[in-house]
Amino acid sequence: MWYPTWALRHPWLSQDKPARAIESLVPRVEISEPGTYFVPIAGAVEYYGGEEALCEEIERELDPFGGDCRIGVAAGPFASYQAARMTTRSKPIHIVRDDAAFLAGLDVSSIGSDELAGTFRWLGITTLGALAELPRDAVIARFGRPGLEAHRRASGTDRDASPRSIPQDPMVESHFDPPIDDFEQASFAARNLAQRLMGNLAPYRIAPHRVIVTAIAADGTARSRTWRSADPFSERSLVERVRWQLRSWIDGSSAGIRDGLITLRLEPGDLSGSGRQMALEEDAKGVEETQRAFMEVQTIAGRENMLVARPQGGRDPGEQVSWSRWGDEADTADRDLTAPWPGRIPGPAPALIPPEPIPFAVTWIEGVPDQVRLRSSCVPVLSWAGPWRKVGRWWEGEGASDRYQIVTPAGAYLCEVRDGRTYLLGVYD
Amino acid sequence: MAATLQRMVDSSTYHQRDFAQVKDLLSLAPGQIAGLKGIPGSGLTRIGLSLLAPYAAHGPLAYLDVRGWASPLAAWEMGIPHDRLVIVRSSDLVAWGRIVAILLDGARGVYAEVPAGVRDQALYRLAAKARIKRTPLVLRPITGELPSGVAHLYLKAREVLWEGTEAGHGSLMFRRTLFEVSGRATGGMWRMIEVEDDGTNDLRVVSHVGTQTSLVVAG
Repeated sequence: MWYPTWALRHPWLSQDKPARAIESLVPRVEISEPGTYFVPIAGAVEYYGGEEALCEEIERELDPFGGDCRIGVAAGPFASYQAARMTTRSKPIHIVRDDAAFLAGLDVSSIGSDELAGTFRWLGITTLGALAELPRDAVIARFGRPGLEAHRRASGTDRDASPRSIPQDPMVESHFDPPIDDFEQASFAARNLAQRLMGNLAPYRIAPHRVIVTAIAADGTARSRTWRSADPFSERSLVERVRWQLRSWIDGSSAGIRDGLITLRLEPGDLSGSGRQMALEEDAKGVEETQRAFMEVQTIAGRENMLVARPQGGRDPGEQVSWSRWGDEADTADRDLTAPWPGRIPGPAPALIPPEPIPFAVTWIEGVPDQVRLRSSCVPVLSWAGPWRKVGRWWEGEGASDRYQIVTPAGAYLCEVRDGRTYLLGVYD
Repeated sequence: MAATLQRMVDSSTYHQRDFAQVKDLLSLAPGQIAGLKGIPGSGLTRIGLSLLAPYAAHGPLAYLDVRGWASPLAAWEMGIPHDRLVIVRSSDLVAWGRIVAILLDGARGVYAEVPAGVRDQALYRLAAKARIKRTPLVLRPITGELPSGVAHLYLKAREVLWEGTEAGHGSLMFRRTLFEVSGRATGGMWRMIEVEDDGTNDLRVVSHVGTQTSLVVAG
């Protein structure tokens, strides 16, 4: 059975209060994205005596919030959303009687995928009506799952609205005895708490846009801070925010947590189900799984030991990598990647680079490498290339050095001769 | 550039069937495990990364770096985008198995150096988990060898030959490595293959491909 549904666009308010206001008239609102609500209104239409009457009631209910309220009424969420988008400030309500006819005239770009719309346009399909006339099997065969979604939308059969049911009290808290006065311990507790909160909300497929972090110290003082996000918090982003907050309270100059932390509380607000309409569920799940796994590894290995890297300019291979901790904002690269870097070692790059140049036992005979000591044995140098001269920052006291590529029967090495001593810079593995 | 493995073979000397088998030799299907054996410098890191590179299109890859020497430069050259590689540095033998197990849950491919002292049972468990999670896994023991039956594809470096350098002139350009290949990927046989690496994202399997010797089973 297909129920009439209407969409309400309210782009500037926090999500929860308008949703509650609507729910005082029509139970169970689906929050699609910030400012957009989907509400099944089959029963309410009969109760209020028609769609127009119901829309006017809702307008009155939302009046205290002010703002620009737009309402679209149609049989499906996609059509109702498009109807709401076609409203104007002077005529904020658009009621669609025939979804198929309404959608048929819309431009194909309305399906929400620029790439797919571009392909359709290239094929001469410029309206949703033309798309809906194509055999669905053919569209699926050519475009797969995205094509099916597009065809469903164009036909006005995208999906039912699935309203939320908000958990009564989603707040979570942890108590600590003895009190925690160390940031790392508090951070670990915060991670568990955030996971618990997101785990509690996951069955409802909603996530908060706002979280109040409250910490109660052993001396009884409570501190709280509200964090907001334009996108719903993910588990990772929430953990980050709570960690930042705790760091500022515990390690900050204000000494906000006296005698240790005894209670940590997270109160979510502005709950949204926007994740529901994102990519295929398995993809979203994959991303979440990855984040969770990496966070767990980070806990075991330490934050300093889970790294991502970006290319940057430099003469030595070790200089050409800009490291940052996984999950942190990447720092701006110190060295310009596009600069010429004279003296740069040509590729291929060594696959193994010691954190610091280490002494390398090379026997030189009249400036030519002759033997290399690897562990307990000496191997002859088969061939070599270089030197590539590197002039250091002489104004800072850095000397010059020469880099060589040395080939032995055991492999090839990049080494540096500085102040008469040889150091290993990399192994071509 | 996406990583590609180009395979060349002197087809006049080998049967078509051999060529078809060899074509898939240097690739790793989801859930398969590759073992690498050889001293640093034999090119195994690049080979291992090239096996995983195709999976970077689907999500991040993880490199468990026991020695603390891993450089992402080679990975980038093998076609792994810089934002698709996470390097975990840990030499903790106790935590090693746990870290690999968790990475198999989250990453689309895992390259793990195996520290000395990891028990065979731990490796068998990880291999089973990789198969269940359908995550390709490359294991590179720092010392010793993998226990039998763990790796689908086992590569042992035998010889390395570099070209491009000559008495102070030129630079390293071209590496030819002779590998002994065994495991289920070769159907119970072992083969000698030669891989050419010119430092780009192309590896070429060249002469000796298809050379195979029947595995002598005594008993």
